Amino acid sequence: MTITRRDVLLGAAATAALMPLAARAQTSEVVIGATYPLSGAGAQVGVDAQRAFETAVDIINNDQDFDLPLAKGLGLPGLGGAKIRLVYADTQGDPQKGRAEAERLITQEKVCAILGSYQSAVAVTISQICERYQTPFLSADNSSPSLHRRGLKYYFRASPHDEMFSAGMFDFLDAMKKKGAKAETLALFHEDTIFGTDSANAQTKLATERGYKIVADIKYRANSPSLSAEVQQLKAANADVLLPSSYTTDGILLVKTMAELGYKPNAIVAQAAGFSEKALYDAVGDKLEGAITRGSFSLDLAAKRPMVGKINDLFKAKSGKDLNDNTSRQFMAMIIMADAINRAKSTDGEKIRDALAATEMSGEQTIMPWKRVKFDEMGQNNDADPVLLQYVGGKFVTIFPSQAAVADAIWPMK
Amino acid sequence: MTAETIIQSLASGLLMGLLYGLIAVGLALIFGLMDVVNFAHGEFLMLAMYVTFFLFTFFAIDPLLSAPLAAAALFVLGAVVYLVIVRFAMRAKANVGMVQIFATFGLAIVMRGLAQLFFTADYRSVPNSWLGGKTISVAGIFLPQPQLFGALVAIAAFGGLYLFINRTDFGRALEATREDPGAVALVGIDKNRVFALGWGLGAALVGLAGAIMASFFYIYPDVGASFALIAYVTVALGGFGSVFGAFAGGIIVGLVEATTALVLPPSLKSVGIYAVYLLVVFIRPRGLFGSM
Amino acid sequence: MDKSFTERRRRELLVAACLTVAAALVPLFVKNPNVQNIMILTLMFGALSQSWNILSGYCGQISLGHALYFGLGAYTTTLLFTKFGVPPWFGMLAGGAISALIALALGYPCFRLGGHYFAIATIVIAEIGLLLIQNWEWAGAALGIEMPVRGDSWLKFQFARSKLPYFYFALALACVAWFVTWWLEDSKWGYWWRAVKDNPDAAQSLGVVVFDSKMGAAAVSAFLVAVGGSFYAMYVSYIDPGSVMGFQFSLLMALPAVLGGIGTLWGPLLGAVILIPLTELTRSYIGGSGRGVDLIVYGSLIVVIALARPEGLIGLFSRRKGASR
Repeated sequence: MTITRRDVLLGAAATAALMPLAARAQTSEVVIGATYPLSGAGAQVGVDAQRAFETAVDIINNDQDFDLPLAKGLGLPGLGGAKIRLVYADTQGDPQKGRAEAERLITQEKVCAILGSYQSAVAVTISQICERYQTPFLSADNSSPSLHRRGLKYYFRASPHDEMFSAGMFDFLDAMKKKGAKAETLALFHEDTIFGTDSANAQTKLATERGYKIVADIKYRANSPSLSAEVQQLKAANADVLLPSSYTTDGILLVKTMAELGYKPNAIVAQAAGFSEKALYDAVGDKLEGAITRGSFSLDLAAKRPMVGKINDLFKAKSGKDLNDNTSRQFMAMIIMADAINRAKSTDGEKIRDALAATEMSGEQTIMPWKRVKFDEMGQNNDADPVLLQYVGGKFVTIFPSQAAVADAIWPMK
Repeated sequence: MTAETIIQSLASGLLMGLLYGLIAVGLALIFGLMDVVNFAHGEFLMLAMYVTFFLFTFFAIDPLLSAPLAAAALFVLGAVVYLVIVRFAMRAKANVGMVQIFATFGLAIVMRGLAQLFFTADYRSVPNSWLGGKTISVAGIFLPQPQLFGALVAIAAFGGLYLFINRTDFGRALEATREDPGAVALVGIDKNRVFALGWGLGAALVGLAGAIMASFFYIYPDVGASFALIAYVTVALGGFGSVFGAFAGGIIVGLVEATTALVLPPSLKSVGIYAVYLLVVFIRPRGLFGSM
Repeated sequence: MDKSFTERRRRELLVAACLTVAAALVPLFVKNPNVQNIMILTLMFGALSQSWNILSGYCGQISLGHALYFGLGAYTTTLLFTKFGVPPWFGMLAGGAISALIALALGYPCFRLGGHYFAIATIVIAEIGLLLIQNWEWAGAALGIEMPVRGDSWLKFQFARSKLPYFYFALALACVAWFVTWWLEDSKWGYWWRAVKDNPDAAQSLGVVVFDSKMGAAAVSAFLVAVGGSFYAMYVSYIDPGSVMGFQFSLLMALPAVLGGIGTLWGPLLGAVILIPLTELTRSYIGGSGRGVDLIVYGSLIVVIALARPEGLIGLFSRRKGASR
């Protein structure tokens, strides 16, 4: 690349910063990129994600006695013990910026794969650019169902999407109804961005299919200063089950407003997001005894699979929190990607992609309650079973499905 | 749609509206004083909430008690912002308004960055304040105590401000300086001092609002953003330069927001507020009570 | 017209031509896609800010809701393309036309409002636009619309790998915006605007004429910004309400002009050349820590520039050149 004056003006800093990196040999390390919101509204999730990835990378790079792929031994044996190096980029939750960062990670930082991205809108553009550069993109925690249906070869998602999550929620409701619980009428409470919209669409469809009556469908503006009018409508509808799809901020406000207006729902079955974040329970946990949320991960799996507890401790040491819905998926995404790179024995995008497509990881070898990790032809793992967790006594208890449950659901919530 | 739902929503809207008024009145004061729109107003609110949070967490001071402290802290901040930043922005020979907007806009970004740096992006809240989580029920209508207290403080603050501006020497100096900054120097009034104090006062009012809100709202670096826009619309609706207008505007905005959420899908409730604003200014181009 | 005036005009044109040619050559030497992306964004924001400047700088009607037109352009082009197969070249014109019409419709009641009331009116109108689209199923609502990219095509203005066509389009747009501004300076409208600025009371007596010229400026400004929005949609291949109609975008269109020199011919471009690379580089190289440091740097620089040179950085140049304005 000929360096012109203009280039110096625009790229001087970049070039200077990169000199030492470019000098390093490719084979002794494997560079993986992570695109997350690190400032702005989603920053908390992005920062937690960094801790999750670091936990995974520590385990991979060092010798740990877990029945987890690549835990034993140092680094990636398929590449001569090469260690993983993470590079982060701030998407600021914006699709265009996310794409620019992904491109920078690929072309300048020379990452061989990218993990991301929390916001599904940003995943759209990042996955597009990854496709153009034939760099695999593993959606750690994006839940929009449309992401894997766009005919992309380099897009993979190991975790469930909103339709799978919602189906899990309705399977649970069906089971509760069979046990005689009152669960006929539903109230949907969802924010108005991509997450809430996808969630509400999936829930509406399932409700119609399975014979539930939606007595309230409240679509609210995310980050509203006040939710009084919305909650008043929920209260008036008085559904058997409240199904919120809210981020942490709105979740906190929702619960506080419900208490202020004297509305105690019979049951809450949340679409995770805010309802799986420690910050929400720190703020309003006292009012959420018995609240249920769908999730990808349950900490009480540690009883059956001790490494879950130990890995949680490693994560907690870095972040001060337990693994949750998001961070567990981010952790697993790193493991899955590293495993594929290891099997590919190469940092070539196409080879990694083929290795990912051939992934067959038993659920027992993960920290998740999944059956296994196997991607279909669209890149989706259909064996990632969601679980339902109930917040009891300050902890999350798995209550569904029966093979993962450690306790019966408390219904209605206290 | 029962009568109870309507009345409850309106009551909640009124309480919230008084709080919007309290947030807006500080903005109106600063604007009325020197024709500057403070784009960092939302961040002032955010900072006040953090101050209250830390006073509670480390010194166990309830937000009710720390409200004056938060106001004092913000007073200092407001004065400093004027002296260090806005004073220089006002020296622009052309487009003074725009320069101030962008100087305060830059300040807003810096404050958010600093908040993230020092407080992290995690969401905080004040879990067990005296009034937090408690509600009074009057004839079946629920009135949350923090918001109720906030409404009373708003009314008191507005009343106090009104008296201050119209009955005290300093208040009159504020008015005079606003009308003719050049002339007041001749009477020995230091323009900078007046402006700095004006900014301090405006910030202090928002400090009160922040302290009250900390007892029922969540706190994180970007929390000011959603309130800032409402504050600007409120001030404009009431009329720039009118303290009473900001107050009345707040009540109107609160009620309109609540009503719209009952009639339209709640995700569109802001449209009601915006439509009312546009309607008002198309008919009365200076807002309801504006003098500028 | 006196000789020095026409000479200056000719000089401005010459400088613009030289800069354009120089800029056009750059991507042939600079192949780094990230640098190219920064350059494209710089040109795009330069064009947007220049267009914004026509209404807000020259006419003095400070709009903080121009994201409305940007979003309209983006959505019109995308919807026409994805739902009806209309090539983006036509979609762009359609978007521009719709935006111009809406600007006229809004201008009619809004131009009566004084500065701050007008600014807030523009903000809320843009917000209404955003909320309406976000709740409109057919337009994709919150899910946004993705443009299926299937191979390179000039007709569809899609290019999988190369950024060059996008670069040249953005450059062309910036040139057009600059040229329209240059042309307007020496036009009837330009004279009215200067007259009003020099003597605000004259605005009263000039009445209708001034009003008509403001409407014209609004329409032109909206048209160009909408074309910019269409470009953005084609470049990024995915739009959602928040990313093309948000308030932050309106501010980002105004900021380069304010920093560079509002109401001047070169100000917005200069401002963009400084601000956009700054934004991108602080985010890329300092943003990765998640500690907000990039925001602190970015915000501080805005404050410093706004304070150090309130009339805009362009002031530095005119003083050096000795040209009077």
